Amino acid sequence: MGNVERCDKTLRINEMMFHVRKDAALRERWNRDLEGIAREFDLSQAEYEALRDKDVRRLNDMGVHQYYIPQILRLFYGAAANSNAHPALEAYKRAFPEETAKALALQARLEQEGRA
Amino acid sequence: MADIVAAMAMTHSPGLTGWFDRAPRAHQESALQALAEMRRRLEAARPDVLLMFSNDHLLNWPLSNTPEYTIGIADEHVGPADWFDEWLGMEKYRVRGHGSLARYLVNEGARRRIAFASLRDMQFDDGISVPTHYLNPDARFRLVPVTMNCNVPPIPTPERAYRVGAIVRDMVRAYGGPERVAVIATGGLSHEPGGPRYFWVDEEFDRWFLDMLKKGDHEALLRECTLERMEDAGSGGTAELLAWFAALAFTTGPAEVLAYMPAIAWRSGTGMVVWPELAR
Repeated sequence: MGNVERCDKTLRINEMMFHVRKDAALRERWNRDLEGIAREFDLSQAEYEALRDKDVRRLNDMGVHQYYIPQILRLFYGAAANSNAHPALEAYKRAFPEETAKALALQARLEQEGRA
Repeated sequence: MADIVAAMAMTHSPGLTGWFDRAPRAHQESALQALAEMRRRLEAARPDVLLMFSNDHLLNWPLSNTPEYTIGIADEHVGPADWFDEWLGMEKYRVRGHGSLARYLVNEGARRRIAFASLRDMQFDDGISVPTHYLNPDARFRLVPVTMNCNVPPIPTPERAYRVGAIVRDMVRAYGGPERVAVIATGGLSHEPGGPRYFWVDEEFDRWFLDMLKKGDHEALLRECTLERMEDAGSGGTAELLAWFAALAFTTGPAEVLAYMPAIAWRSGTGMVVWPELAR
């Protein structure tokens, strides 16, 4: 099965993200008190550091649900102009260079064919 | 008795509203034409209610407690949820629900061995909001949202989705009101939201799937379009097509594909489909 099977349904970051997305006060604190939020949700040091470092690969490998990872990046960078030029792309290039290169090559080919 | 009057399916990728103009002009034009045609046919079918099969993006339910199917039972729905409005580039909207029909589906479903969860205050993300933006912008049709799990293991199979769709179809027909009901499936096509292949789509899979729909052979589609095949075409995203399988049970014969775009800019294979013939 696919990457989604990697998620750890009991991981505290996953629990935290469910609440952060629903709670404007937590979202407002994200960029000035991430450590405090992590403490409140009892994240491990490794979980906190992967979050702090915006490390897509580590987050994915430790079992953060893949759907939450771009949402985590949105909390750091904002949602505006959420195109493929968004910093999320750079984070994914670092985390998954092979897969992202393949995607960019496909985009280039579609553009060359006049289909993208 | 309620009457089923239309069945359609469309992609609900947030790019269709949130960053629509980032896609090539040809994709924009193709999508707008197809969505206008869907809306034209929907209006011609004169439904009272849109029964919308979609999926929850970990918004209403946590990973620790994810129901297979959930029905929104409110008499009025409000969307999008706060976290999603900026991302989707949408203002808040209100749509009348159909609490009576929705509650009937929950309770009759239980009698028919389906454990529908229910929510009085279902939160809407792109799954309901994007189709509503294009197909029901003036909120003239009432809404019964049915969301499913397609991204938290264990993911249900296409056979299960089709079976649930068939049971819901029979329940709607048995409903004791005069409502005209249109079925809208939302989600897909290939994409892998947040996964290693986040910026990729599987055009080959998408065209194969749409060709299978055009052939109209449900048994062949159920045999060949396995959950594993959908996961290969984009983990945790392509399986949104389970909503299409649920809608498929309301139809018979070939689907008409209005548009397809391998829209990497919207981060999803993007398609719009109408079924001209409904199951008897």
